[in-house]
Amino acid sequence: MPNRSTALGSAASGTVIRPLGVGLPYIASLPAELYNPALVDFVEITPETLCRVRWNGRDGAIELVPDKLEQARRTCGMLPIVIHGVELSIGSVQGLNAAYLDMLDAFQACWPFAWHSEHLGFQTIRGDNGATLDVGVPLPQPATEEAAQIVSARSAAILRRYGVPFLLENAAYYLDGLPADPDIGDDIGLMRAITERSGCSQLLDLHNVYCNAVNHNIDPLAAIGGMPLSRVMEIHVAGGSWQHGFWMDAHDNRVPARVWDLLTHTLPRTPNVAGVVFEMLEEHAVRLGADVIADELTTARDIWRRHQQR
Amino acid sequence: MALLDLQTALGRLVRVPAGEDPFRGLHLTAGERASLVAVVDSAGFAFTVDVQRSWCAGRAANAARLTLSMLSADERQRLLADWVNAGGGTPSFFAAEADAFLDFIARRLPDPSHALTLCRVEQATLRAREGTLRFAVPDPSRLDAPACILRAGRYAALVRFHAQPQLLLAALEGQPLPPVSRETTPVLFGPGLTGLSRLASGDEVALWERLAAPGALSVLSREGHRREAIESLVAAGIVEASG
Repeated sequence: MPNRSTALGSAASGTVIRPLGVGLPYIASLPAELYNPALVDFVEITPETLCRVRWNGRDGAIELVPDKLEQARRTCGMLPIVIHGVELSIGSVQGLNAAYLDMLDAFQACWPFAWHSEHLGFQTIRGDNGATLDVGVPLPQPATEEAAQIVSARSAAILRRYGVPFLLENAAYYLDGLPADPDIGDDIGLMRAITERSGCSQLLDLHNVYCNAVNHNIDPLAAIGGMPLSRVMEIHVAGGSWQHGFWMDAHDNRVPARVWDLLTHTLPRTPNVAGVVFEMLEEHAVRLGADVIADELTTARDIWRRHQQR
Repeated sequence: MALLDLQTALGRLVRVPAGEDPFRGLHLTAGERASLVAVVDSAGFAFTVDVQRSWCAGRAANAARLTLSMLSADERQRLLADWVNAGGGTPSFFAAEADAFLDFIARRLPDPSHALTLCRVEQATLRAREGTLRFAVPDPSRLDAPACILRAGRYAALVRFHAQPQLLLAALEGQPLPPVSRETTPVLFGPGLTGLSRLASGDEVALWERLAAPGALSVLSREGHRREAIESLVAAGIVEASG
């Protein structure tokens, strides 16, 4: 693999990010043999899976559980890691989840990561008593100027706080017709505005693009073309399934052929991409089994290597 | 439309679509309300609610796996649906809500029943595990303080099994369910116990029941509660001493 670094990593954070290759999420119940340099180049960790909440009255602190952290470190061995959080709720006007960032401070101090990412959306609202209320599911961030301003400011602060690239993931959404400002346009315009203003990068989830294309009759190539491709540092591929007439981003299956095609299409257009991750949910990963997962990783690596050799 | 109003309205609508007025307290024009109503009428909104319901039910089910496994599929679905429809199951870290969910289930189970016993076991285990984060074995000399007051531990519980506990646990593994006996086997739960639980002796049950209200150690001693039993329960976090 050519030894090149991404300009984006340098510009955004002062650190040099070298392309890592193909990664696998850390899933404690998968065989440790999968986390092997012969199959993967790096591991993507969702730190909340290694955590518990300690409550002090109404406030909860998210704490790393030492045993779980130790098991993850043993499994990952010398493989580099990146972080993919799920609890930040960066788009909530009510406020992002500060407890998540406190936990990430502790994580970084004991186990440094190459970059970290979160989802562009919100999952908490203001309750009637002013307290934060969980929605129970992430919702898409409306494509408005106010949303762009809030997320840009928070992303810039997060970028400074950790000194490594911070990536936002484009969402799969099922809601249609949310209010939008003409200057922002849609979810793609919102991602463009935020990355330009904050200096953060994008995690381009191609299965989410595929879901939106199928569910909302959008041209996926046009959607990808509209993304801030020079700011894409990581790509996700995943599988889904039909549920109640929607193609759901369920992470329950192999990657559809069309999504592999989108990866082949996208890699040459993302000059700063540093990794591709095959995502699964834990219960489905166990059901799919190690052989299927290894098969998907091999496909991703073949595409990645072809791209690197160009 | 202000983002705060938009997110609040959407979040309320997804959490409890049939609940209170989702637009209460928000600064929305008639046009903005109409646009949100149009969103709610869409198939995508219905699907988003389905996904939210499924995630919330899954979180709640994980908190009461043993109890729910004792119920019929219909009863299980009904309890989960009632909880989620009331706005439950939303926190990703469900531990905060698990205790309340187990209480919610307990109020709807026959007493006595094995399902209720398991519900109390799951609740007691949850509390004792939470207690391990804060519990440290206290200095025994605390019991020598003249004004020492004893109270039931905050992270402790006594659960009465209406069958031999091992038979009930075997039933969870597929063995036949033992009959619900009128005689009970008491089991103590506390953060300082190895494995968080053990069988309770008669002395310990008497002390636990006496501590339904806090009592002075001197009074408890006069009533005949033995110092050894008290020390053992204090060391396990089942009884707390202060003063």
